[in-house]
Amino acid sequence: MESLFLQQVLNGLIVGSVYSLIAIGLTMIFGVMRIANFAHGDFSMLGAYFAIYATALMTGLLGWVGSMVVAAIGVGIIGYFVERYLFRPLLSRWTDIDIIMMSIGLFIFLENIAQLIFGATPKMIMDPFHSNSINLFFFSTSVIRLLSFLLAIISIALLQVFLTRSKIGVAIRATSQNSNAALLMGVNIYFIYSLTFMVGSALAGLGGVLYGTIFAVFPTMGALPTLKAFAITILGGMGNIRGAIFGGFILGVAETLGGNYVSMEYKNSIGFVIVILVLLIIPQGLFGKKET
Amino acid sequence: MTILQGVNISKTFGGLCAVDNVSFELKADEILGLIGPNGAGKTTLINLISGFQSPDNGKILFREQDLTGLKPSTVNKKGISRTFQIIRIFPKLTTLDNVKSALVDRKTRNALRVAFDSLKKSEKNLATGQKGDLKAAELLEFVGLYDYRYELAENLPYAYCKRLEIARALATQPKILLLDEPSSGLNPKEQNDQISIIRKIHEQGIAILIIEHVMKVIMDISHRIMVLHYGKKIAEGTPREIYSNEKVVEAYLGGEAGAEH
Amino acid sequence: MNSRLVKYASIAVGIVALFVLPIIVRDRYFQHILVLSCIFVLLTSSWNLLAGYAGLLNLGHAAFYGIGAYSSALLAMNFNISPWLGFPIGGMVAAIFGILLAIPSLRLSGPYLVITTIGFSEIMRMVAMNWVSLTRGSLGLYGIPPLTPIKLSENLSIEFVSEQNAYYVVLIIVILTLCLMRKLLRSEFGITLKSIREDEMGSESIGINTSQYKLAVFMISTFFAGLAGSFYAHYVRLVSPEMLTLGETFAVLTMAMVGGLGTLSGPVVGAVLLTFLSEGLRFLAEIINIDIRLIIYGAMLMLTILFMRNGVVGLFTGLARYFYRKPGEKK
Repeated sequence: MESLFLQQVLNGLIVGSVYSLIAIGLTMIFGVMRIANFAHGDFSMLGAYFAIYATALMTGLLGWVGSMVVAAIGVGIIGYFVERYLFRPLLSRWTDIDIIMMSIGLFIFLENIAQLIFGATPKMIMDPFHSNSINLFFFSTSVIRLLSFLLAIISIALLQVFLTRSKIGVAIRATSQNSNAALLMGVNIYFIYSLTFMVGSALAGLGGVLYGTIFAVFPTMGALPTLKAFAITILGGMGNIRGAIFGGFILGVAETLGGNYVSMEYKNSIGFVIVILVLLIIPQGLFGKKET
Repeated sequence: MTILQGVNISKTFGGLCAVDNVSFELKADEILGLIGPNGAGKTTLINLISGFQSPDNGKILFREQDLTGLKPSTVNKKGISRTFQIIRIFPKLTTLDNVKSALVDRKTRNALRVAFDSLKKSEKNLATGQKGDLKAAELLEFVGLYDYRYELAENLPYAYCKRLEIARALATQPKILLLDEPSSGLNPKEQNDQISIIRKIHEQGIAILIIEHVMKVIMDISHRIMVLHYGKKIAEGTPREIYSNEKVVEAYLGGEAGAEH
Repeated sequence: MNSRLVKYASIAVGIVALFVLPIIVRDRYFQHILVLSCIFVLLTSSWNLLAGYAGLLNLGHAAFYGIGAYSSALLAMNFNISPWLGFPIGGMVAAIFGILLAIPSLRLSGPYLVITTIGFSEIMRMVAMNWVSLTRGSLGLYGIPPLTPIKLSENLSIEFVSEQNAYYVVLIIVILTLCLMRKLLRSEFGITLKSIREDEMGSESIGINTSQYKLAVFMISTFFAGLAGSFYAHYVRLVSPEMLTLGETFAVLTMAMVGGLGTLSGPVVGAVLLTFLSEGLRFLAEIINIDIRLIIYGAMLMLTILFMRNGVVGLFTGLARYFYRKPGEKK
């Protein structure tokens, strides 16, 4: 039925917007620092937990939005320390194995510490609209989901403005394209590294709040978004923000449609299958640069 | 006797024509110099010959054998070795091991065969054991690195790294050696050493194609020189002829300044 | 000559000690940990072949462990194939899947390779969970026959259900495997792998067909992972999709890193150390009611990378080199 299909597409777009948000952070960090952070989804998880505690203190719609600010800032600060003390010492080393393994270690650590501190039972972020739904034209969805979608889009738009219009944003993009040239142009590389990592992580944290709002919050929730974010960035090109945005929406829709029309159980592997297929044909991703 | 032939080779990278319909011949007993301003397509040509890139058009013939489009490892097995403009030695291996790796007999064995042979004593295992050590030491002696054989390659000074790459390239017993700017970054004394090494290699009967920016080296050493500019061959001849060739002078002065340095 | 004699003698003593150990310490739980250690030694050494020697990060290792286990179990349960045969068959099935993964992986590096191997692992795990008719889904297969007893005479046969006898079997497998790997890695094959790890283009320029060698290492590495899995299947006699989780791979990864990547003894040290540590922590967990094993794993991994890059073995070799340095000494 037509409206069911459109409904699914909408659902996919909503989920996709959150995926995009998380993926943008990942791809930014990789683009600027060549760090493939496998713990990225855990920043989302931390953001979600920040939100749970924040919404317990501040209720209602304001509380929910406020919790996102708290999450973004909180995770951003954590991101600063992670970059400064865990990743930066590794940047001068020969191999990227160290960086990948470090992020895996961080992933294991964060997941399990979260389990220790917060407990394994899933929690819900308080929905200020109490699961009210809204009907627009052919589709219906819960108010909170719609708001999440809008907030995700607004955040992405704000980020784009920041990256294109502000001096620092341009510096970030310059470093991403050619760090040596940026250095020669007077850009403080380490400052940019810190800032990029903080912003990228904050975006993950923000995405985590939305993700947790739509689904649920539990310590191991970070793994799937991480892998999906990677799938998205590979498709869109590691370091390519626009690619991450499109990729996120595409994955969201593909997953939702695939989950409904093909198979529910294998829903989460759709991203993997697509990525593996793409990489088979184009080893550097759809928009990636070939390593000479 | 011609040992290597390039016929109408072209290569384009996303709109930029790096090599434009270049044909050349390398004789078995000569050193052919390849010069041209930066970006002229010289390294690309070497990449095409050695298999690291494949030409869009044209053929590369090694003694009548068509090498076009073959993998780099296959090209090497047929008898062509190369060095790199930016050195690609194995940093965490010793100098000796760098060379020993190249001594492994891969011409007649594939990977699984090498693996199986490793498990038993085989005459094919040339690289390990005393035989390998001796042969590798010989090659290091040839380039003057014998005293550094146990040193980790990453600890070698730059000039020695360049020599190590040459020794390693020679270990595969090539008939042709492609040298990509072997003297770049070297001081005059080191450049002289490099010249004598290259001469010695030539005396062994190996044909050499050498890219260089250092005019002193290339004029001194080459029997013939080929000049590329924006991917096209604009001149060919003896060093003296090239030196006074108008088109060449114009290319260097009109394009990149300071190519002499 | 003298130092060589000392070396061989100490190895011999070590091996004897390993065999005598379960007779001295008769505690079944301890013997069980010994068996687990051996299994992890197999897993970690095989992973190290890819990561430490060829420089390929395969995060799908657990999948091959599981594939070997399921293959051997299913063959034994459905076709009455002797587990002794199931071992190598399980290994080979894993190796075939290894080739399957290797083919797309050959052209990939860095995070692309990691994601592809993770993806492969997760897909395999989901197959194990959802292809219920074959694998019984998340319930897993139980009642897997143990290693068939060896008949010595009319009334005497050696069984392999007990931890002790199982330990002897796996210990022999481990010793043989390590000997094989040692020969392999110290040889021309080994030096080729190291070259590939150091610089692929440079390797190609001296005639190394890097794809071929990477494929070969994938096959060998996954074979031994599958072998370990097969043994596990007939020892614990229960397999489930849990064997294919990323967590298993991460444990192996941590062991390899902590022990020392790129050496032969590193994975052994790491595997034994962390298996015992893990079990010790399990006791602690029961007492204080919190499972901190994985937290410690994660922390260890991060700290090792920062401060002890070459692992425990690297630390000791570094110290030894510092104290016993001779100019021009062969390493």
